[in-house]
Amino acid sequence: MTDSFASSLERDMAGLIVQTLKLKVDPGTIDPTQALFGDGLGLDSIDALELSLAISQTYGYQLKSSDPEIKAIFSSLRALANAIEKNRTK
Amino acid sequence: MHDAPLIGPYNPEDVLAWEADGPRPARQFLSDVSHLADSLPDRPAVLNLLSSRYEFLVGFAAAMLRGQVTLLPQSRAPQTLRRIAGDSRESYCLTNQDDPVEGIESVIVRRQGGIAGWPKRMPHIPLNQIAAIAFTSGSTGQPMPNRKTWGALTAVARATGSRLGLQAGQQAAVVATVPHQHMFGLEASVMLPIVHGLVMHAGRPLFPADIRDALAEVTGKRILVTTPLHLRACVTEGVRVLPLGLILSATAPLSRSLAQEAERHFQAEVHEIFGFAEAGSVAERRTTEGDRWRPLDGVRLAQDQAAWTVQAAYLPTPVRVPDRITVDAEGQFVVHGREADQINVAGHRVSLGDLNQKLLEIEGVQDGVFFLPEEKAELVTRLMACVVAPGKTVEEIQQALRARIDPVFLPRPLLLVPQLPRNGTGKLPREALLMFARRHAKGLPHET
Repeated sequence: MTDSFASSLERDMAGLIVQTLKLKVDPGTIDPTQALFGDGLGLDSIDALELSLAISQTYGYQLKSSDPEIKAIFSSLRALANAIEKNRTK
Repeated sequence: MHDAPLIGPYNPEDVLAWEADGPRPARQFLSDVSHLADSLPDRPAVLNLLSSRYEFLVGFAAAMLRGQVTLLPQSRAPQTLRRIAGDSRESYCLTNQDDPVEGIESVIVRRQGGIAGWPKRMPHIPLNQIAAIAFTSGSTGQPMPNRKTWGALTAVARATGSRLGLQAGQQAAVVATVPHQHMFGLEASVMLPIVHGLVMHAGRPLFPADIRDALAEVTGKRILVTTPLHLRACVTEGVRVLPLGLILSATAPLSRSLAQEAERHFQAEVHEIFGFAEAGSVAERRTTEGDRWRPLDGVRLAQDQAAWTVQAAYLPTPVRVPDRITVDAEGQFVVHGREADQINVAGHRVSLGDLNQKLLEIEGVQDGVFFLPEEKAELVTRLMACVVAPGKTVEEIQQALRARIDPVFLPRPLLLVPQLPRNGTGKLPREALLMFARRHAKGLPHET
């Protein structure tokens, strides 16, 4: 593998993001430290909502905006994968 | 009657809004408005970008007391904000965050504690005062202003409330997932509660868990003002909430099956509002009971040559309905779809002509077109774009678009192509575009 994922969860998450949001990118080319929103992958709040449903269904982790860490959690694929690892119930 | 009070039937200690840290009584609200009104700069118009629904309302009310018009941009793209601010000379923007908009004078709102500014007497606003201007996207790339008088805003709120059976001063609270800078959000999540003396939740919950928490923070009859997208998310996620009083959905058509699921899930009636920024809320229906829209009291549909228009005492001129509709003998109507140029993505309406214009403004873009692919059973169908821009990358064009259009309209995907499938008259038939996109997706060569 030539991708830069640190764990299989990161690789799975990259696939989930691309599949859920129908991005025209190869999941393996996503930089796990790159910003997901704004200038990075360019996601918006509707993507966040769609992604939160996919994460909840796949990993049993419900995201909340009131979580003080929410900005950090959504800052990159790596941060998101770490939060899922900590909170997953599936 | 030449004016109407700033807020409806509240006693001074009644809760007007619920913020993250607790209740805001009416007395506090009037004090906050009075403080802010005294400190606003002397300008005719203001872009109110405050993110708390309560702070937005304080800014909106303070601006009205100073005779200032609140500008409601159709997008927060920096270029759109600058264009709107530039057209309304000497405007400024109200913000509570550390993100001033480059090129526009920003006034940071600082909250004062206490109620020292409590004005003792309820302020009244003339009915013919322009309270807000809602901008829509015209087909030429220029934002189109739609002026809203205080009389129109209060009349729509009263007509909506009476249709939904709301009683003035009843124990009820509004929780909304829609932005308050959007026309439906302003009408249903700001004007509706303050005219009827209800509690307004200041948040804007996004995720199902947020919506559940916000609903749990308020008491009495709970009214959820939302969109099909958020309803779908809540039903899919299976969030558990106590039975709601009422759900009000707008911004995109709600399917009857989702309405049925939502009624079961929330144990509440789901009502839909039909409206558009040019006229405001126009009609209502209970989605599970049929597809017919019932105009709000005081609203009449009239045929003007080929088009239908909305007429109401508070509209200075009849307003053309942007959808294809058929109207029955009782004046109720069925909506068949948007006029060709108008599309709706996740509740944001835009003219394709406007988007194309903005695409063509980008340096290096020789030709390009936005279009809506065939809709599938997804949460949201995104726009696509085909662009001819030799030497440019997809990222460069997306970057330039991001500064010009609302992110919800960013094409997904944006295809770089050698040329567009224009026909002999230079037109781009939709069928040809869809075929073109399908071939491209399969990696087939373009027929040029």
